[in-house]
Amino acid sequence: MANMAMAPRPVGANFWQRLTNRKNRYYFMAFLFVLPALVNFLVFRYLPILAALQASLWQYSLLGGYRDFNGITHYLNMIHDTYFWKSLWVTFLFVVLKVPIQVILSLLLAIFLQKEKWVTSFVRSAVFTPVVTSVVVVSIVWSMMYHSQLGLINSMLSVVGIPRQAFLSNANRALPAITVMMIWKELGFSLIILMAGLKGIPTDYREAAIVDGAKAWQIFWHITLPLLKRVIMFVVVTQTVFSFQVFVPVYVMTKGGPLDATKVIVYYIYQFGFLFQDMGYASALSIVTLVILLVVSVIQMRIFRSDVEY
Amino acid sequence: MSLEDRLSSGELVVDTTPLKQEFVIPRWVRKTIGGIFEYALYIVLIVIFATPFVWMILSSVRNQAEIFAYLYPFGWHTFVPVEWTLQNFLDVFGLSEAGQGNGLYFQRFLFNSLLVSVGVVTSSLIFNTMGAYFFARLEFPHKNVLLVFVIATMLVPFQATIVPLYIVVRGLNLQDSYWGLIVPWYASPFVIFALMQFMRDIPKDLDEAAIIDGASLFGVLRYVIVPLSIPGIVTTALLEFQFIWNLFYWPLIVISRPQLQMIQVAIANQTTQTQIYWGRTFAGAVLASVPVILLFLLLQKYYVQGIATSGLKG
Repeated sequence: MANMAMAPRPVGANFWQRLTNRKNRYYFMAFLFVLPALVNFLVFRYLPILAALQASLWQYSLLGGYRDFNGITHYLNMIHDTYFWKSLWVTFLFVVLKVPIQVILSLLLAIFLQKEKWVTSFVRSAVFTPVVTSVVVVSIVWSMMYHSQLGLINSMLSVVGIPRQAFLSNANRALPAITVMMIWKELGFSLIILMAGLKGIPTDYREAAIVDGAKAWQIFWHITLPLLKRVIMFVVVTQTVFSFQVFVPVYVMTKGGPLDATKVIVYYIYQFGFLFQDMGYASALSIVTLVILLVVSVIQMRIFRSDVEY
Repeated sequence: MSLEDRLSSGELVVDTTPLKQEFVIPRWVRKTIGGIFEYALYIVLIVIFATPFVWMILSSVRNQAEIFAYLYPFGWHTFVPVEWTLQNFLDVFGLSEAGQGNGLYFQRFLFNSLLVSVGVVTSSLIFNTMGAYFFARLEFPHKNVLLVFVIATMLVPFQATIVPLYIVVRGLNLQDSYWGLIVPWYASPFVIFALMQFMRDIPKDLDEAAIIDGASLFGVLRYVIVPLSIPGIVTTALLEFQFIWNLFYWPLIVISRPQLQMIQVAIANQTTQTQIYWGRTFAGAVLASVPVILLFLLLQKYYVQGIATSGLKG
């Protein structure tokens, strides 16, 4: 094929001949394989960002369409929008509560459940079941468990003599309650990835350390942890990005309340776009969220960058 | 010289100061305590993770009044029904008078979810497999640039860009239809990436042999690559099915005709409107989750493998 492409062509060989030579025909056929996927990504992943950029500069609603050109007014408005800052704060709290606890718990569990036994595989399945369950179902069942009068959790607490608590209707407890539920739901996901990472560590290192008389925690701290750094980074980055976009639990359980204590950024965007019919501002909020998430994940990748290869 | 002689001659000195009495827990006791502790932790974990499901499933087969009646004091019947009944399921399927009166017809929502999931999985099987084959095997100028184009889409936050996606889908006039639910997801960067990793491990000699035998590019894919990638394809199809079946935010905004709604949105709407009908809510939750959970328990190996590989190699 290479020979054909490089063979000297008669002067004036027409364009059509070149286009249909074997190599280009091959490229054309090859490209057909990837074309549908590329079109999908172009239209449904990249184009929305451009559409949002455009909509964010206009006064735009679904019913009224494009009206006045706004320039960067939407972005300037955001600076004075206290609800926007509040929702960013709530989202931030959710992420910094959830991600570290989830990663540490799943790391401990991964080590605890490492042994291949029928019990551990049974426990692993139990931990993983919430992962494949929809967030909607989990949120519905947990909001009933959290119910202040008829909830299962209050019923259990009554056994140890603790009086009935309000969880979701208390502004101080609603966000932690949702956080606990989401850790419960997604623990299995990070567990699976960390367990696969643990399996990937060559046993030689551990064995060498044991021969040298290292204690269990020393092995964990000086061998397992550094070698797991890349996997932990992957979990932290993906969980941060996922958690930052939490929406369904808020929609199902609290609708952003009480007192906006659970109004996360994606719920705020939803309110503007679909409840207040202000697509322009909603798009501007989406763009800002997108930028924040990109910056956060780049920073995290820098911090966690691993020099250890094995 | 015997040991006794050496001792008596004073060549060897025996230290006769009493050993510091250290209380050593016998090995078997330590092992037993450790074992008890270990199994106690297993049980705690299972209780924490299984209780909500057990409560959901058992509450769906008892009547409303009973759920509340046995809540206090906490005990056996807080979970286990006194009187088992399928009434809640008859209600949500509109097979009882009460259910019909409330206009419940969950079979339609289940059907919609099934249709959309199967549609997405089928199209994604075709287009993602083709895309992965392109990246894993075919030659193309600047192929790496295209790969970056694909991988970069994974960085686009999905929930945060739902509003813009809706603007695009509306522009294509696909909103409020099955197409609007299926078309945006017919290809997935995650699946392409995972399958590409999988296909790279297949020996290249095989497709070269097939090409010498006169197979076309499509022939190589159809008769060499696909048969050898079945485990990877099954895994990604499962993950994709679960992803679409559990979709909530997208159908919530793209669908406005109730009869086209998917199951997850339907149950969420039911519960927020009729918060008092706990039994029906539990029945709906069971219908929306148990099929996927059973699928997972049956094919667990593939799920775990899929998540581990698509996550780790990335």
